[in-house]
Amino acid sequence: MKTLVLGIGNPILSDDGAGIRVAREVEKQLKDPQVIVAETSAAGLRLLDSIIGYDEVIIIDAIQTGEGNAGQIYRMEPKDFSFTKRFSSPHQINLVTALELGKMLNLAMPQEISIFAVEAKDITSFSEKCTPEVEQAIPKVVKMVLDELVG
Amino acid sequence: MKKIMIDPVTRLEGHGKIAIFLKDDGSVANVYFQVPELRGFEKFSEGRAAEDMPQITQRICGVCPEAHHMASTKALDDLFHVEPTSAAKKLRELLYSSFYVTDHTTHFYILAGPDFVMGPDAPPAERNILGVIAKVGLELGGAVIKTRHENHWVIQTIGGRPIHPCCGLPGGVSKAINEEEREKIEEIAKQSVEFGKLSLKVFDDIVLKNKEYLGMVLSDTFTHRTYYMGLVDENNKVNFYDGRVRVVDPDGKEFIKYAPRDYVKHLAEHVEPWTYLKFPYLKKVGWKGFIDGKDSGVYRATPLSRLNAADGMTTPLAQEEYEKMYSTLGGKPAHYTLATHWARLIELLYAAERMVELVQDPEITSTDIRTIPTAKPDEGVGIVEAPRGTLTHHYITDERGVIKKCNLIVGTTNNYAAFYMSVKKAAEHLIKPGKEITEGLLNRIEMAWRPYDLCLACATHALPGELPLEVTIYDAQGNEVKKLSQGI
Repeated sequence: MKTLVLGIGNPILSDDGAGIRVAREVEKQLKDPQVIVAETSAAGLRLLDSIIGYDEVIIIDAIQTGEGNAGQIYRMEPKDFSFTKRFSSPHQINLVTALELGKMLNLAMPQEISIFAVEAKDITSFSEKCTPEVEQAIPKVVKMVLDELVG
Repeated sequence: MKKIMIDPVTRLEGHGKIAIFLKDDGSVANVYFQVPELRGFEKFSEGRAAEDMPQITQRICGVCPEAHHMASTKALDDLFHVEPTSAAKKLRELLYSSFYVTDHTTHFYILAGPDFVMGPDAPPAERNILGVIAKVGLELGGAVIKTRHENHWVIQTIGGRPIHPCCGLPGGVSKAINEEEREKIEEIAKQSVEFGKLSLKVFDDIVLKNKEYLGMVLSDTFTHRTYYMGLVDENNKVNFYDGRVRVVDPDGKEFIKYAPRDYVKHLAEHVEPWTYLKFPYLKKVGWKGFIDGKDSGVYRATPLSRLNAADGMTTPLAQEEYEKMYSTLGGKPAHYTLATHWARLIELLYAAERMVELVQDPEITSTDIRTIPTAKPDEGVGIVEAPRGTLTHHYITDERGVIKKCNLIVGTTNNYAAFYMSVKKAAEHLIKPGKEITEGLLNRIEMAWRPYDLCLACATHALPGELPLEVTIYDAQGNEVKKLSQGI
């Protein structure tokens, strides 16, 4: 079984780098050679390119729900974003549309996709550091991802 | 006064907020346009080693990292006063051409395609890539994915890693390609040429053969007479990677042609009180407001602008298509904003043909890929054509090569003024007293700016990768009378 841990975000844009920070830490602590850890700033179609051929994919990204507190962690599945399925994205296409496209074109899509999202506070200031609230959440998400891989 | 909000702009690379204010009689009073600005890049880059800039600046944008990487690398050539070897230049241009194939493919099929393939009045649930593929067929959908996927392999092979290349160094590139890789790239390049031809045929069948669409392309609603900017080679032919920046006036006559270092002499920025955005304009003409014509310093830097600013394409198939486009549009320059989609496909074909030329060049597998810099760094400017417009990187360093000052004019920025004008004009033409404001009408307004493919705050990727669209109409007292929303 091929598993991908994919951190998404921008490592120089404050909390938008949370997903990548988690992925880097998971890679350091991971002992399973069957698991590939990668990072990307891409969304939409490029994201689709990244996950083709894997059986299981764990995605970590920042999220702005507009309701949660900064640093809050969500464990989600693609269906949680299904309300946006048909909706056009500012970044080409969204995750759910990308997945549906992959299925439509009969590409080797993962059987299982889980998403860990961290509520972001600042995603428009250039900085390699996250805000303190998100910074505190990072080790917790790392543990959740590692537990998920074991489980 | 009534207010219509379109927030955010769908299918743009980033998100923006557009407010259309109506008069009491229901006609358009004014339009405002705001985007979330990324903050503090200049400060972020100060004190860093200049050699790190190709890695750092490409993180600014999640959509076109390759363009920033290349402009930055060229700025380093200039900064360290070093001329890259011939093979290094060819490898850089090969990577860059491959990137253009992927980027233009994405724009046409994902962003522009739904408007034409599904039609501007199609329900939003169908006006997307899934609808496009359901209509044009799985085979073409597969070709879109394959072309992108294989060209990403090319970028990774030359660039050293996927998505964010790390090959650019002052004076050259970090790695060569071997014969096996060359053969595979050649195959992908040839397939990309076929894909470019196919895409132009799709455009021909769906847009040009449809009288209503062609009428839209040629209509005044989507037309602006402006100056046009693009990078050209020594024969004034389109070049994405290198050359001088040429600007033609609204009659198509060369207005200026400048080397990268001279950009500050020719461009200035106008500030408006209602937005953080700065609007670049041509210094020699001056800022006269958001207006068309020869006396206004507003210019555009888009695929169509590049073709307008040049005398042609260097590759045979693209040149043929170039001639066909101008003959259909009634000559050069073409002022029809929607024809930008057509120009983009001609550029796609050119990029693919250029890939073939470069990968068949005997020098492309040379290992002479770097000139080691020996001079002290001081100041450097690098310019490439990003898919969304002329991209300028300018660095000033101390003698150790540590950044003291950094200035970037990103592709999108060039087009802010024209973008604003396009939105305003389309809104004025389409929103009329007594006429119901429908989804289709609002989508037609969006079509006025979609050709620019603006990157607004383009580095942010927070889930779910998009924001909902909300259109709210207020009456003269500011009360909400109608709300059109999607995805909420």
